Amino acid sequence: MTGTAVRVDQVSKSFRLYHERNQTLKSAIMRGRTSVHEDFWALDDVSFDVPEGSTFGLIGSNGSGKSTLLKCLANIYFPNKGTITHFGKIAAMLEVGSGFHSELSGRENVFLNGSILGMSKKEITSKFDEIVAFSGVEQFIDQPVKNYSSGMYVRLGFAIAINVDPDILVVDEVLSVGDQEFQEKCFLKFADFRKAGKTVILVSHSMGTVEAMCDRVAWLSHGELKKVGPAAGTIKSYLSSLTPEA
Amino acid sequence: MNYLREIWRSRELLLNLTLREIKGKYKRTVFGQLWSLANPLALMLIYTVVVGLIFRVKPAPGDPSGLHVYALWLLCGLLPFTFVSSVINAGLRSLVSNAGLIQKVYFTRIVLPLSTVGSVGYTWLFEMGVLVIAVSIAGAFVLPWIPGLLLIMVILAIFAAGIGLMLSIANVYFRDTEHFISIVLQIWMYFSPIIYPVTLIDGPSKKIGGLLGTNITLADIYRLNPLEHFVEVFRNLLYDNRWPAATEWYICAGWAIASLAIGMFVFRRNERNLAETL
Ligand SMILES: Nc1ncnc2c1ncn2[C@@H]1O[C@H](COP(=O)(O)OP(=O)(O)OP(=O)(O)O)[C@@H](O)[C@H]1O
Ligand SMILES: [Mg+2]
Repeated sequence: MTGTAVRVDQVSKSFRLYHERNQTLKSAIMRGRTSVHEDFWALDDVSFDVPEGSTFGLIGSNGSGKSTLLKCLANIYFPNKGTITHFGKIAAMLEVGSGFHSELSGRENVFLNGSILGMSKKEITSKFDEIVAFSGVEQFIDQPVKNYSSGMYVRLGFAIAINVDPDILVVDEVLSVGDQEFQEKCFLKFADFRKAGKTVILVSHSMGTVEAMCDRVAWLSHGELKKVGPAAGTIKSYLSSLTPEA
Repeated sequence: MNYLREIWRSRELLLNLTLREIKGKYKRTVFGQLWSLANPLALMLIYTVVVGLIFRVKPAPGDPSGLHVYALWLLCGLLPFTFVSSVINAGLRSLVSNAGLIQKVYFTRIVLPLSTVGSVGYTWLFEMGVLVIAVSIAGAFVLPWIPGLLLIMVILAIFAAGIGLMLSIANVYFRDTEHFISIVLQIWMYFSPIIYPVTLIDGPSKKIGGLLGTNITLADIYRLNPLEHFVEVFRNLLYDNRWPAATEWYICAGWAIASLAIGMFVFRRNERNLAETL
């Protein structure tokens, strides 16, 4: 349990900011090129290691690059520079329930979403009862998901995602929609994960949650890594940066 | 090859996405899958009246089947064409309409356009089944030609998939694509021997002779259209009840392979940028 689960090595990611973004042929032809743009560095030379078996938090203000970093971890974006290496199977929960089809029932969506997340039909079938029990929507499992409340939606989505059973779980602030009871259930599940020696990387704006759950925390500001280290210290520096002249 | 293996590993997801579209499409309709017959039937009525009765276009009777029904002859070309056109239209939108999914979850992106081939193909299979029954009632003996029919259907699906892949990427960069292509598809239909027989071209073409002093005729240029060959094979099997010439098979297969190879190449080169470009 002393190894490294994820190594982020000098990762930089830029986006093109278009001054006049209309993806039409006319604008391309008029200007003789596709667009006028400048590069915006959403992540700038970020490096850190996530120890295996730890719960790792990412904090920072809006737009500081947290979700971008998670997407790079999840193979959705590809960094311009630097490398990300992970040791073990990785699963990301950036938005639960993406890929739900609103007209299909909860049951059909469990199978659909499970396979989008990379589970085989056999795996889903064997975990189906567990998924439904964890989500707490048993009564509505054969209803189309468009009739679900937004919390139920998240519960079902989360229940599927957590049953992918990865070695490294990457979570963007997806829990804020669930009620108190469900949030506690999720935290217990994260704790189980940790006991099983698995790694969790999470983003949250609730410092209470981060402090309670994370061993180590990284603080991003405008794409740069300001500080990485034990939870309490990093959170303190982050909070004190928010209150100038304090 | 690696890429093919990756797609193969995602076959279950491909199947599930296809089922999602099939199941979602006719949810909450009374007639369900029967609706998929409505569009070809309406087109059949229109063309039979306008082209068959008013313009009196008369394709040659099926040889050796002896069939002589314009409506059936039309459908043998029209159903493959509407399949291609729906695959292109749906495939082209598949990335843009699943933007949310692409930006939030990692999976083999190519399954999105490919699943539209599956779901449109399912409808098509149903339509062709009805056509086979109709042609049989009219007196053709189709049974021995069914394996050939299935083979050409697969080849046409591969051809359409390749175009869908290319255009789905184009549509991510230029949303004009979908509007432009819907016009191109209409024009394409009239430049293919769907509602009129290719013999209608041969006459004027002979009269004009070689174009610009060469011995390339109008008909030669017309036959560059891959659909001309596909439609020929479909009509040979279904309407005439004979085995199509080997060259026709080769031409169709060649177009299909080229289309899929280019489509996959274009897709593979661009798929990494999809999440941020969308
Ligand atoms: N696809 C994109 N194209 C252009 N810019 C982008 C794209 N995705 C993110 N950005 C920019 O990158 C920066 C970081 O965004 P990111 O979503 O990572 O922030 P965040 O730290 O998750 O913020 P929040 O706390 O609000 O979730 C923002 O300025 C955003 O505008
Ligand atoms: Mg974010």
